[in-house]
Amino acid sequence: MNILIVDDSKAIYAMVSKMLEEGGHTALWAEDGLRAIEIIKSNKSKIDVILLDWNMPNMNGPEFLEYNIKEKITSSPIVMMTTENSPDAIKKALSLNAAEYIMKPFTSDILFNKLSLIEMML
Amino acid sequence: MIREEVYKFFADYIYKNTGMVYASSDYYRLDSRINELVKFFSLSSPDELYSLYKKEITLDMRAILINISTNNETYFFRDVKPFTTLAKKIMPEIMTLNPNEEIKMWSAASSTGQEAYSMLMCLKNSLEDSAFSKMSVEGSDVSTKALDKAKAGIYSGLEVQRGLPAQLLVKFFQQLEPEKWQIDLSIQKKAKFYEFNLLTGLFPSDKFHVIFCRNILIYQDKENKIKILNNLSKSLRKGGVLILGSGESLVGLETNLQSCMYDDFTTYKKI
Ligand SMILES: C[S@@+](CC[C@H](N)C(=O)[O-])C[C@H]1O[C@@H](n2cnc3c(N)ncnc32)[C@H](O)[C@@H]1O
Ligand SMILES: [Mg+2]
Repeated sequence: MNILIVDDSKAIYAMVSKMLEEGGHTALWAEDGLRAIEIIKSNKSKIDVILLDWNMPNMNGPEFLEYNIKEKITSSPIVMMTTENSPDAIKKALSLNAAEYIMKPFTSDILFNKLSLIEMML
Repeated sequence: MIREEVYKFFADYIYKNTGMVYASSDYYRLDSRINELVKFFSLSSPDELYSLYKKEITLDMRAILINISTNNETYFFRDVKPFTTLAKKIMPEIMTLNPNEEIKMWSAASSTGQEAYSMLMCLKNSLEDSAFSKMSVEGSDVSTKALDKAKAGIYSGLEVQRGLPAQLLVKFFQQLEPEKWQIDLSIQKKAKFYEFNLLTGLFPSDKFHVIFCRNILIYQDKENKIKILNNLSKSLRKGGVLILGSGESLVGLETNLQSCMYDDFTTYKKI
């Protein structure tokens, strides 16, 4: 799958993209929500899944989810991937149409497990 | 260095007590386990451990050895299909056949409880409250350590992310601490966990409507597989369903169970 990682941490991007590539996926990077919007709007090849951080400058994860509800820029499943790990944070993200939720820290088997849950929904 | 004689002693004991086969070509898989025991008993070598166990094996020493030698790997909704098939196909059929009856299920190698709790979560999600109130699951295992965790129903952040959709996490778990999630009482009170050895235990007759016995038979030799399967069959009620692990089947084994397909998912039924 073609997967967009939206995260202000380059280290996280490096780690997750390596996991994804080992699983046969390709990864793109956006450092915040605004950049993600640009990439989604300009990208010709379809993005299958978006991995979305919560805390980022300019436009954070929940703001991106709200923006997408209003502007419908993508119908690809969005998976939160964040250190925010309270039930309220998870409920909030799900209510803003996040399809799944990954709490950091996680392992590659969890990442792939969540992606396969997403694929079953597609 | 662990001597052949020491390996053989522990491999034989584990085989006699759990049926798990450590063939001599696989003895290296006992290394970390034996070394862990050496450390646990503050000894200095596997030979000392061997002398200790050769002298006497108390109940505690037995439990410690079994806890350490079992592979308790499990996760929520493992393989998905067994659970969706249970909730959507098998349970409606069983409820029609047994109207108003208590429905008894068994997670016969429950490890730390994820399998039993997954059965209950998907049933709670798909059944009316009045129907769900008639459901219960018994979970059993030889590992007392795994059972303690199952009973507590408390899992780490990593464990609740293995297999469990986020929707179900927030629906059925309370966060006690950042890294501790506890299964909801409405699910937990429907599950009972106890020690039961599938090789040596006394199996109840005609008790269960559904048995999950998954990812344990793969560790057993043919003779023990047949013995366990026939005992599970005895414990099933007529029309009851047995579900095995994804790599396990009855092919080549003599039993009185009949394979029964739900779409492309294979189960075994007591006719
Ligand atoms: C790999 S786990 C499988 C857990 C779960 N059924 C699943 O599929 O995810 C296997 C479990 O079988 C248990 N076990 C091994 N030998 C056993 C025996 N003779 N009787 C009962 N349980 C046994 C182990 O302690 C371990 O917890
Ligand atoms: Mg961040």
